[in-house]
Amino acid sequence: MKKLKNLPSRIYLLLILAFFYLPILYVVIFSFNESKSLTNFTGFSLQWYEKMFNNRTMMEAIWYTVIIAVLATIISTIVGTITAIGLSKSRRILKETVMQVNNLPMLNPEIVTAIGLMLFFTSLQIKTGFTTLLIAHIAFCIPYVILSIMPKLRQLDNNLAEAALDLGCTPWQALIKVIIPQITPGIVSGALIAFTMSFDDFIISFFTTGPGVNNISIYVYTMYKRINPSINALSSIIVFVITIVLVLVNVVPLIRDRKKKGKVNEEDFSNSIM
Amino acid sequence: MKSFSRLVYPYVVWAAIFIVVPMLLIVLYAFTKEGNGVLTLQFTFDNFARFFSDSIFPNVLWRSLKLAIITTVICILIGYPAAYFMSKLHVNKRTMMVLLITLPMWINMLVRTYAWRGILLDVPVSGEIKVYIGMVYNFLPFMILQIYTSLLKMDPSLIAAANDLGANKFETFRRVVLPLSIPGVISGITLVFLPAVSSFFIPKLLGGGDFVLVGNLIENYFVSTGDWNFGSAISLIMAMIILISMFVTKKLDYESAEVGD
Amino acid sequence: MKKLIQFKNIVKSFDNQIVLKGINLDIYENEFVTLLGPSGCGKTTLLRILGGFLEQTSGEIVFDGDEISKVPAYKRNLNTVFQKYALFPHLNVYDNIAFGLKIKKQSKDIIEQKVNRMLSLVGLEGYAKRNVTLLSGGQQQRVAIARALVNEPDVLLLDEPLGALDLKLRKEMQHELKKIQQEVGITFIFVTHDQEEALTMSDKIVVMKDGEIIQIGTPTEIYNEPVDEYVARFIGESNIIDGVMKEDYLVDFDDKDYKCVDHGFRENEPVDIMIRPEDIDIVARNKGVLNGEVKSTLFKGVHYEIIVETVSGTSKTVTMHVLGNKDIVNEEEKEKISASNFYMDLEDVPNLTTGDVTARANAQAWNFDNEDLSISKVTYDVKNEKGVYPCTFETSNGTAVTINITVVEPIFTEDATNEEAVQAFDFYKTVDEIKESIALDTDLKRWANATAWSLEDDSVVEIYDVKYDFDDENITEGDYQITFATKGREFKIHTTDYKKEGMKVGLSFAPEDIHVMSKVGF
Repeated sequence: MKKLKNLPSRIYLLLILAFFYLPILYVVIFSFNESKSLTNFTGFSLQWYEKMFNNRTMMEAIWYTVIIAVLATIISTIVGTITAIGLSKSRRILKETVMQVNNLPMLNPEIVTAIGLMLFFTSLQIKTGFTTLLIAHIAFCIPYVILSIMPKLRQLDNNLAEAALDLGCTPWQALIKVIIPQITPGIVSGALIAFTMSFDDFIISFFTTGPGVNNISIYVYTMYKRINPSINALSSIIVFVITIVLVLVNVVPLIRDRKKKGKVNEEDFSNSIM
Repeated sequence: MKSFSRLVYPYVVWAAIFIVVPMLLIVLYAFTKEGNGVLTLQFTFDNFARFFSDSIFPNVLWRSLKLAIITTVICILIGYPAAYFMSKLHVNKRTMMVLLITLPMWINMLVRTYAWRGILLDVPVSGEIKVYIGMVYNFLPFMILQIYTSLLKMDPSLIAAANDLGANKFETFRRVVLPLSIPGVISGITLVFLPAVSSFFIPKLLGGGDFVLVGNLIENYFVSTGDWNFGSAISLIMAMIILISMFVTKKLDYESAEVGD
Repeated sequence: MKKLIQFKNIVKSFDNQIVLKGINLDIYENEFVTLLGPSGCGKTTLLRILGGFLEQTSGEIVFDGDEISKVPAYKRNLNTVFQKYALFPHLNVYDNIAFGLKIKKQSKDIIEQKVNRMLSLVGLEGYAKRNVTLLSGGQQQRVAIARALVNEPDVLLLDEPLGALDLKLRKEMQHELKKIQQEVGITFIFVTHDQEEALTMSDKIVVMKDGEIIQIGTPTEIYNEPVDEYVARFIGESNIIDGVMKEDYLVDFDDKDYKCVDHGFRENEPVDIMIRPEDIDIVARNKGVLNGEVKSTLFKGVHYEIIVETVSGTSKTVTMHVLGNKDIVNEEEKEKISASNFYMDLEDVPNLTTGDVTARANAQAWNFDNEDLSISKVTYDVKNEKGVYPCTFETSNGTAVTINITVVEPIFTEDATNEEAVQAFDFYKTVDEIKESIALDTDLKRWANATAWSLEDDSVVEIYDVKYDFDDENITEGDYQITFATKGREFKIHTTDYKKEGMKVGLSFAPEDIHVMSKVGF
């Protein structure tokens, strides 16, 4: 009875999922297509993967995407964490002003942020390229990092830091030993957001990069008139890598938990023979 | 501990240079003429006059707004039931659903849109419909997740209280669940409408080039034509319109929270 | 009075865990009934089943003559005040209260009339347009009550509604609730874990424990005649004593017979005896029915709470050998090391670890700058028989100290009347160790390895008292006696007369102050 009653809602959710996964499925299937057709599957082949690896522009685009994402993540996470901690101890006015300014890139359409940065670089006659691309990425990543750390800092019990000081920590030690461990989940999620934002970014990259420096998004965009199944091959690889990473992210903590349990027992044991 | 407040200063400088100055530059360009040197700056409203004197530009703007509004409405209509059904699932299935919905979002937007291009290549529908499919596809997950979170946050005792006071399932939904989930819908709107107005690669990839939106217009004036002053003016107009619509939405949200007052 | 609700053998289980074990309960019209019990006793579950938010696994609920198990919550003619009120945050005070009436599609003017009447009943006139989330706890509480009562239910269910309020407000609301109940004249079913709340407000109290009803009665009945030790301890304060019912009207405890008013027990049946603290009078020595010594006096505001010990606990005395300080000094390495001899129980030898030996000998090493050093090597060879064995502690630089471990057979004293045994060992300590102790009683217990247990079931009994007559600040070398004792028979007495600690007194109580109860499980 109950099962039957839920049936329409289950079907609805399945349809939604089908909608979300249709293009992904499509990309993976047609990446193995023998012909150049995007509508007829004529036979299995790996030629598009081969073509992809032989395409220098494409490989460069992948390289730039990854290196920019990694650098932007590291730098914006560090700067964002430091700033968030500083903000939590700042006067109200300063805090609110910084948060408002921080909100600008998020409230503005991306294209506005993008042309703003482009105008900035060109007015100062800075040659656009790798450096400007990296700076732009760091600039739009930091606000997200700050935003994901601030709630953790707000939840933090004020007495924790005071307890650390009371027990003899210097402010610096209290920061490293007590505050940072407490906000680590926020830092991690901030870093993750920064990485994906940077990895996926198109609009800002499109306006702030210079000749010869393309990321995956820009490469795909410039291909918009032509049919190039190598992009399917590249997409399939991205799908594959992301699936693996997400599975790992969700499974590794489970394994670690199990290991930890084993470790606790070991510790008990070592204590007893001490 | 107070000394930590000094940690903010480097970022204050950074934000001033890379967030505030670029914004000011757009305003500056929008109100000046091409070819002005720093010393010969001349303020002008010409760029704005040009925008409104030719009906092409307001038409494009209107088309963009229409597209964004319709996309947002479709996302609410499809997304709300999905979020509601999800919130009713068993906790394990619920987290699984969230994971399944988030997973495609990790894959590059352009890559996914490019895939739709292939799928829809030989489908005999107009470019406009293809653009709508691409837009809804890209923005629906945001809407679902926002509404879902607001439904999940709801205190279950409120639903019990409504039942206790004589409301059946439908009335409980209409009088308690729906009004309490409005903030989720509003933040969903923010996440969908805002990027939808300014999007320019989805129309370009799926609309076949003849579907020009305000985003494409800006792109053209910056990349092809090189008329940055006029491009800046268009951006400024768009930013203003978005700002106003966000303000109105927030206001609506506030009023819906004060219902019956 | 008319029966309104009948619970018939209600059983509820969640995931194979039985929460209600067959509840039978009748509730009448116009009653203020309290379900009382600790958290997890099933009281809230029972309320939620009546409210229609949970379905019982088996059993029937008859409401006003009809079986209502299959009736959905929204069709039951009862309303609930929820634990945290569950006020709708998107509606103001007026709309929250009007919610049920709007659902019933009543006309606007009738709704207005009824809501206004409710607002004045709960004392919130003028609050109609307020935002509920900005009200104080007490005001939210009143809105929740009004929202439920405006529907004119036959029964109002209240799920620990006062739990979130502070003490003063809670007391006020207790009176308020009672007043409202009398004014509207309907049945209130109130769930709480606070016995005082239950005693103050109820016409009838239902005491629950582990999914069962233990006792049903008026507050006076429950207080004066609890059915067993559990109820007696849960409601009010009490002295509970193991005893034997010699015959009707005669009960025996601590080797003495007392007249009482209880009867109907088997001859020589083991029983629990309850005497309320306020029923005992402190009189001059030998003037009462018992003699004892005042152990402590606490001021409680209106009265003093005085503890009088009438029978002392089981005790064991040991000798503490206090030695001078004998740190071994290694001038070359600039290190010092110290450790003391200790006695140990033969039974503990098989489980002896290096860590134990170091802790028991209190072995420590430090350098001339007073920084602690770790003991890197411990050598000992303790055999599983009585005797004296040497043991050496050493630092990594070779600074060493040797002590003796004396293995002895356990010696303990047994007390047949208390059915307890206490065991402790002689021990060695240095003057400094005693002076440095920050919790001397606890350290003495640990050093002497003092333990006590019940002869009945081997369960651990607390060492309650550590007696010695040295001044630990000025102790010198020599032998000292230390006595470890368990708790004896103590009576808690509430009186307005101050009595000094250590005073020898008599205790008196009348036969009707003694309440005899069957042992749980008999």
